[in-house]
Amino acid sequence: MNREKIGTITDLMKSRLTKPMQYYLDLCTRCGLCYDSCHVYYGIPKREYTPVGRAETLRRIFRKYFRPSGRFFPYWGEARELDDRAMEEVREAAFSCTGCRRCMVNCPFGIDTGYLMTMAKLMLIGNETAPEELVILADSAVEKGKSIGEFKEGFKSVVGDLEKIVQEKLGRSSPDGLIPMDNGGASVLYAGLAGAHSIVNPAVIFNAAGESWSLSFFEAVNFGAFLGDPEKMQFIANRIVKEAIQLGVKELVITECGTAYRIQRHMLGTLPFKVSSIVEVIDRYLREGRIKVKAGAISEPVTYHDPCQLGRNGGVFEEPRRIIGELCTDFREMTPNREHNWCCGGGGGLVALDNEKFRVQSGLVKRDQISATGAKLVVTACENCVSQLDTIKSGYGMDVEVKYLTELVADNLLL
Amino acid sequence: MLDLFAYIVMVPMVYLAFILFVAGMVWKLVRVFRSPSITGTLGLFPRELPRPLAVARDAFLVPSAFRKDRVFWVFIVAFHAAVLFLILGHCELVWNIPALQVIPHRVFLGAGSVGMVMMIGTLYFLFRRFGAPVREISVPEDYFLLIILFLSILFGSILHLVDRLGIGAMHVPVQAYREYFAGLLTLNPRLPVMVSYSPHYAVMVIHIFFSNLFIMLFPFSKMIHAVFAFFAYSTARR
Amino acid sequence: MSEEIKVDATMDLKGLKCPLPIVRVSKKVKDEMQVGQVLVAETTDPGAHADFPAWAKTSGNEIVKVEKGDVSKFYIKKLK
Ligand code: HEM
Ligand code: SF4
Ligand code: SF4
Repeated sequence: MNREKIGTITDLMKSRLTKPMQYYLDLCTRCGLCYDSCHVYYGIPKREYTPVGRAETLRRIFRKYFRPSGRFFPYWGEARELDDRAMEEVREAAFSCTGCRRCMVNCPFGIDTGYLMTMAKLMLIGNETAPEELVILADSAVEKGKSIGEFKEGFKSVVGDLEKIVQEKLGRSSPDGLIPMDNGGASVLYAGLAGAHSIVNPAVIFNAAGESWSLSFFEAVNFGAFLGDPEKMQFIANRIVKEAIQLGVKELVITECGTAYRIQRHMLGTLPFKVSSIVEVIDRYLREGRIKVKAGAISEPVTYHDPCQLGRNGGVFEEPRRIIGELCTDFREMTPNREHNWCCGGGGGLVALDNEKFRVQSGLVKRDQISATGAKLVVTACENCVSQLDTIKSGYGMDVEVKYLTELVADNLLL
Repeated sequence: MLDLFAYIVMVPMVYLAFILFVAGMVWKLVRVFRSPSITGTLGLFPRELPRPLAVARDAFLVPSAFRKDRVFWVFIVAFHAAVLFLILGHCELVWNIPALQVIPHRVFLGAGSVGMVMMIGTLYFLFRRFGAPVREISVPEDYFLLIILFLSILFGSILHLVDRLGIGAMHVPVQAYREYFAGLLTLNPRLPVMVSYSPHYAVMVIHIFFSNLFIMLFPFSKMIHAVFAFFAYSTARR
Repeated sequence: MSEEIKVDATMDLKGLKCPLPIVRVSKKVKDEMQVGQVLVAETTDPGAHADFPAWAKTSGNEIVKVEKGDVSKFYIKKLK
């Protein structure tokens, strides 16, 4: 690796030296308490898949260039130089980490390994070895934000077709206006995803509740964050913020996408509107009596998977449980659950990568957890989690069904 | 030759350790405070307690260790509590602190038990590192710090216990120590005869040597966790 | 656009979850197609109608035709 490249990478590292990064880089006592917190380590018991193992892969390089101990006494902390081999290990560490932050709960200092990995990801961008898939996705999302004018009509016309499906589900007389877009004066802006399910089911629910809403032109998910590029992350998130401000909405509602929720809700600072997850909104509608569901409609055993970014990193724990509680008669918690819940292995952009075998292996603990409940239906509220749970299901040949929470609600509305 | 070494350890090295410690800490803290803050929060949920209480709980009760490894937790808590007593004990060696004498005692709180707890603690931390899986993540720094610390505590404890138990009539009055420290503090260093001619002067030199070493390494090693931990807790509970 | 487009490959992306449609298409175009060849991507995702053109723009490929329907077809020509 030549000097120039090393310079590029170390400059990028420097640009990520925020306050929390400084603490997390220096304060680990290597006590090992986080060792088996990571679902990847559970499935593939190798040191490099432990939280502290990942962090040390980064820290060893970091010490070499940024700390006197690493510069003058590399042996003291096993500091190492940047080379292709080291960057290979950095990539393995960063892109096998879902950023679920389960390790953060189990560290006596609350070290956020997922956050440390954002530095690792930035180094990979500098080294031009970041996963190509994520680069493409992030660039497309940025491009979409820049020239949305060109794509609006195409999108609007297909959404028009979706309105007919919504009309059918709701039993209304006309499809018109069931999925409003560019709706100035709406109180809610809803950001979905590319797939029809992420638009139709919420549309059914919003209409049933008589909400004044507007569908965003942008998908909620943030590939800039998965890629680890702070500028693209900011730009992609701002597309929706701008749209929300333009329409003057009071609330931005995020689809079942954990990352999108965490970023829009918790990572952008104060915004002139409220940010909620669709799960919180459904719970609110139910409690306010704006929608009704067929109580106890589902009698088979059901469990709920807490998406990491919605639960421990987002704060939405009880809402989904209340919703499921109304619909299902046999609800079974996984052990552990809520902030201690195991990550399914689908976060951090990992479902976009060519790594199915790895994801099946790293999903072992989720398989075990689900099997232990005996549930036949696994409900969750995150697109990535559903994809990964499906991968686990087929990987281990499990006899369960995986469902979105919105789908469950939309299918069981009392209209 | 040995006299010179003893003098270097007892005077210039103490100053050096102090300077490195203060400068290192200031440098570390200034660098952190000048680093950019982040937008948004890295906090965890749920947030049952108000932030200061949550931070205090994380710091003093170490719940993550309690959940994962009960034995380790006992040692962590005992060891760190002992560190507190130890610091107070050393302060009493330097100054007369009437507030601490509400319960009258000979100098060094705990009558030697503090050192015992810390020695057992460091040995436990050390042996814990010899086994999997902690061995796989340990680096020389981890072993060196623990060994230096153990030696420092060992010789410190000998110093104290020999005196307390009157073994071989070894005794250094507290007053002599206070004179020594006062000299250091007023930049007028002197080694009172009661100190330098005491029969266990060698033990004292060794104790101070290892302690100096540990203090010098403090800001530049993982020992910085003693300070950064609180920033990190505060981040996690924000 | 009455002229028949010669199709070199077809991909079924129906029902795939976010973000797989773009990932699959871009991999296929990059690794398996020759410059000038046309791939037809079949998808049920409404989002594809904005995402595919944006992807084509950044990756320097061209969408020569779109057939809208329950299953929409995107004709993607590899340009580089
Ligand atoms: C907020 C408070 C603190 C917490 C939660 C904390 C936690 C820990 C933990 C988990 C270890 C175990 C490391 C191992 O496995 O070796 C440790 C070690 C240690 N701590 Fe702390 N600590 C705190 C504050 C302090 C303070 C204030 C001091 C002293 C000045 C200190 C001195 C030490 C020492 C000497 C060790 C053993 C050294 C080593 O393991 O290398 N700690 N601490
Ligand atoms: S954030 Fe999650 S995936 Fe990453 S190291 Fe921690 S436990 Fe593992
Ligand atoms: S639990 Fe925290 S301090 Fe201990 S090894 Fe893991 S990251 Fe480091």
